[in-house]
Amino acid sequence: MIAFTHKMAAHCESGAVTAQLNHAGLAISEPMVFGISGGLFFGYFKLPTLDFPTFVLRNQPGKIRTAVQKRLGVQISCQKNRTPDKAMAALDSLLDQGIPVAVQVDFFYMQYLPAYARAHFNAHFVNVIGKDGADYLISDVYYPKIARLDERTLKIARSVKGPFAPAGFQFHVTGVKPDVDMQSAIKAGIKQTCFYMLRVPLPFMGIRGIRYFGDKVTSWPKLCRNTDHLSHEIMMIHVILEDRGTGGGGFRYLYASFLKEAGTLLGNKSLEALAKEMMANGDEWRQISLFVARIGKERDLGPVRLQELKCMIHQRAHVEKDIFERLSETAKKL
Amino acid sequence: MKEEDSKVESSHQLILYIEKDDQTYGPVQTGSYMVKNYLDDFFAKKARLQTIRLEELKAGKISPLAYYKDLVEIGEGDLACRVGISRRKLRFQMTPKGFSRTSVALLERYATVFGIPVAQLFQVILCEEEGLAIHNEQTALPSVIISRISVRDRQASELRT
Repeated sequence: MIAFTHKMAAHCESGAVTAQLNHAGLAISEPMVFGISGGLFFGYFKLPTLDFPTFVLRNQPGKIRTAVQKRLGVQISCQKNRTPDKAMAALDSLLDQGIPVAVQVDFFYMQYLPAYARAHFNAHFVNVIGKDGADYLISDVYYPKIARLDERTLKIARSVKGPFAPAGFQFHVTGVKPDVDMQSAIKAGIKQTCFYMLRVPLPFMGIRGIRYFGDKVTSWPKLCRNTDHLSHEIMMIHVILEDRGTGGGGFRYLYASFLKEAGTLLGNKSLEALAKEMMANGDEWRQISLFVARIGKERDLGPVRLQELKCMIHQRAHVEKDIFERLSETAKKL
Repeated sequence: MKEEDSKVESSHQLILYIEKDDQTYGPVQTGSYMVKNYLDDFFAKKARLQTIRLEELKAGKISPLAYYKDLVEIGEGDLACRVGISRRKLRFQMTPKGFSRTSVALLERYATVFGIPVAQLFQVILCEEEGLAIHNEQTALPSVIISRISVRDRQASELRT
């Protein structure tokens, strides 16, 4: 097994990238990786691949890695492999050299996690840090300790089809810059987040997307086959906001931590003040999480309750518009 | 969120970012609030859905593909994409008539998506008693598995075969 520091993290891609950077000698935190890469986002989607609408809270999978590469000048070697066998051979080759490898996998096949927590999602990232007999040793930031996965299962997880298909994708950090311009990186990350939250001209993205979500949730009963189904989908709002690797409050706590760290690093009181507001905003998103869990369990899902939920979500849109507008102004002066 | 508000006792662990007592922000490992308080409700709903789908399966209204699709909670479009067929073909194969015309090779692809041995597409195993466990063992032939049914000793928490 490669000497690799395993620890849990809030989110798989930012956690895996942070672990790779730390291993390569760059001392950086997960909030900083997340913030610099412009990770925070909102989008409400009705996709052809899904039977029910959903919402996303971060930018497109893969963008955290590419943004970090660009803004921190990190050298990352990436590989896509045509066949499952070639993908496993490429992985083994690097492991034999003592190099930990981040691989993209379908989350469903991470069998060390309980079955109820696993769903098909092709953009999960884990670090493979060794091999022990027929098993691979996995550093998964969603699992408290180093996990094991047999070769057959890992091969399947890396070669599934579907949205964001992994196609045997793997990467590892090959070099880090000793002197990184953190101020420019922080500024670029904040500007990107503010653009996507405030200025994307699509009704289902950004602040407009949050309002759109609030509007749409009141019509969810029409999409459900019965009360159990509606209860499940309403309670999934909690799962997406809190349990599917966000660090709590729909990534808002993680982003608040980034703003706080950035403010301290740059000696910028405005960023520190905005961090406090973002943390409070995360608390209000968590109140939405607790609300949907309760009404879902109690089957209190009539029009009055869903209207109340809509208002809570719209209030988040109102508050975040104000926060991101002032954050955008602050970023211009960095 | 303050650190003291984040503590949840649950076997399902995750990371939350919180405000610590010294007013810095940082990660804390804690349990999942949803799992601690609502996992029983999730399982109850799933069990009711499984009962409904099983009745439809027994009545010949749906095929095993429709049964497992809903249990695994995968969308129609996603499932079709993963096994490499059109949605129209998938919908046909989710009917008993369509299922009977599906090749073994394609059924193996479905089984991989559902995370079950392909044999389970032809057999639904229900545990009538609590404490029974089924362990499936792969063989050199990917489509053939060996299923072992065991009784868990509740007192000693040991597996007795």
